Amino acid sequence: MNKLLREAKLWLIAIPILLWTLLPIYHIFLFSISTKDSAFSGALWPQHPTLRNFGTVFRQEHFYLHHFWEQIWNSLWIALGAGVITLFIATCAAFAISRLKVRGGRTVMNAALFTYFIPAAFLAVPMYKAMGSYGLLNSRWSLVLAMVTLAAPYAIWVLKQASDKLPWELDEAARIDGATPLQLFRLVYLPLMMPSLVAIGTYALLLAWNEYLYAFLLLSHENTIPLAVGLGHFLASDDSPWELLMATALIYALPPAAIYYAFRRYMVGGLTVGAVKG
Amino acid sequence: MATVAFREVVKEFGKTRVLHGISLDILDGEFVVLVGPSGCGKSTLLRMLAGLEDITGGTIAIDGRVVNEVDSKDRDIAMVFQSYALYPHMTVRENMGFSLRLRNDKPALIDERVKQAAKILNLEPFLHRYPRELSGGQRQRVAMGRAIVRDPKVFLFDEPLSNLDAKLRVAMRTEIKALHQRLKTTTVYVTHDQIEAMTMADRIAVMNEGRIEQLGEPLELYDRPANLFVAQFIGSPAMNIFDGVVRSGSVEALGVRWPANGGAVEGQRVRYGIRPEHLEPGSAGIPAQVVVVEPMGAETEIVARVGEVPLTVMMRGRSRAGPGERIFLAPEAAHAHLFDAASGERI
Repeated sequence: MNKLLREAKLWLIAIPILLWTLLPIYHIFLFSISTKDSAFSGALWPQHPTLRNFGTVFRQEHFYLHHFWEQIWNSLWIALGAGVITLFIATCAAFAISRLKVRGGRTVMNAALFTYFIPAAFLAVPMYKAMGSYGLLNSRWSLVLAMVTLAAPYAIWVLKQASDKLPWELDEAARIDGATPLQLFRLVYLPLMMPSLVAIGTYALLLAWNEYLYAFLLLSHENTIPLAVGLGHFLASDDSPWELLMATALIYALPPAAIYYAFRRYMVGGLTVGAVKG
Repeated sequence: MATVAFREVVKEFGKTRVLHGISLDILDGEFVVLVGPSGCGKSTLLRMLAGLEDITGGTIAIDGRVVNEVDSKDRDIAMVFQSYALYPHMTVRENMGFSLRLRNDKPALIDERVKQAAKILNLEPFLHRYPRELSGGQRQRVAMGRAIVRDPKVFLFDEPLSNLDAKLRVAMRTEIKALHQRLKTTTVYVTHDQIEAMTMADRIAVMNEGRIEQLGEPLELYDRPANLFVAQFIGSPAMNIFDGVVRSGSVEALGVRWPANGGAVEGQRVRYGIRPEHLEPGSAGIPAQVVVVEPMGAETEIVARVGEVPLTVMMRGRSRAGPGERIFLAPEAAHAHLFDAASGERI
């Protein structure tokens, strides 16, 4: 009886939170299957639901959608780039700090984490200036590098915590077996860190995929902007095509959802490593 | 196979000195056990030999070559860890062949060596399994297999049986000893368990607070402990030790006279030691009152009080004595150990 009561209480909390979370997504969906005329009708289900909006988006048949495929490719390119580079830097750093015990490693990590004290928005202007100085403005690389800067400290920290949990004897056994540090990294460390690596790679990838502010600042050409910024352009006119905007938004939200779903096991396990004392 | 020589080896962690100039020569093919309580420095000494700890002072030589500055992988040693340290993502076959793979040996050779080691250790049916699919004893055997395939000059064991249950520990003890008799590889074995040390070693080095208290064959240590520490550490149940004074050839202690060998000076304050099995109850002798009787089948352990001091008595067979009853202890002079009360050294 007590258990039932406890569960009932949990459900009472869970259901409103779930509804609250799903409501905006439902509205996106509602818009995306409505015709332009019925988009603002206020009904909970359109009178004539249609998938035509998606066709319009895929065929790029609207002024704001002329670069849809190009922009989604940019989003993918930038997200993958940021994910891979962040993962590479963070893994090497975590290995050096946690396993090789490089002198000053912890200081470097703490210094990197310290950057989170400064809100990302404040860093936007200096970042813009820096990218300008290196001639990277309007190149996808600028956003990739910016995202790596933002994601790396957290990624290093999480991976370092996960590394600390690997038994130290494994390194010693490998050393006695004749492994060089690089072989230890490749043959022992990487395979054992795989769940955390997947989690952190996904984190950096999604961070870059969802980024708007930096993308908006650093990239301005129709051919180089990611779709997130492209979506923002919809709001430039008085008569925005909301149904197309929402259809595009829904398409844009699918890859992260799919990635998260595919790696959900690693996400929960990987990101909470080090959160509590083992 | 090789000799190992420690010369005045010192280890300091910061300002704390944990090893105070250890010198020890291990012969080719010998099985030497380093035994001592936690924190005595035995594992540190082994890890220094393995190249896992820097050497603060002195030298360590393997087969005549000083290895102070030589990397672990170039020392031609193999080590078995307490936690096994098996690579969890590799099968038994891959674990055992890992060192050969790193040496770029040919796959056919690796396969042959792994199979050979697996045969010796009865691991053939498990070669395709992962460590998580093995029992504790099997994992320990894989760890040993990983050491064997390299055919190293020296085997190092760091408390390899501590994670096993009592029954398996005894079985593995026999296996390790049999393995050594078969391979005749020089072995340095660290344990805190004196029974392991006694049963396996050719020679034992008893360590305490960063020093070797005594080095010798197991029974030599048992029969003639060099000082109080060794006397109390070696042997189970531990030796009975109490204060006394030498009076006309025997020792006056606990209100009675205890037989003793010569060597001590009249009136000298001593610590009198006698092993439990040398206190077998008889029809006459020193009176004692039984406190606890612990029958173990083949023998019986009795805790009996002489004066206010409880002594452990070990007798063969079974005892009819019950708690509170009076028995007589008949120690022999030949089995008595006398230690100087001040220095603790054997007299």
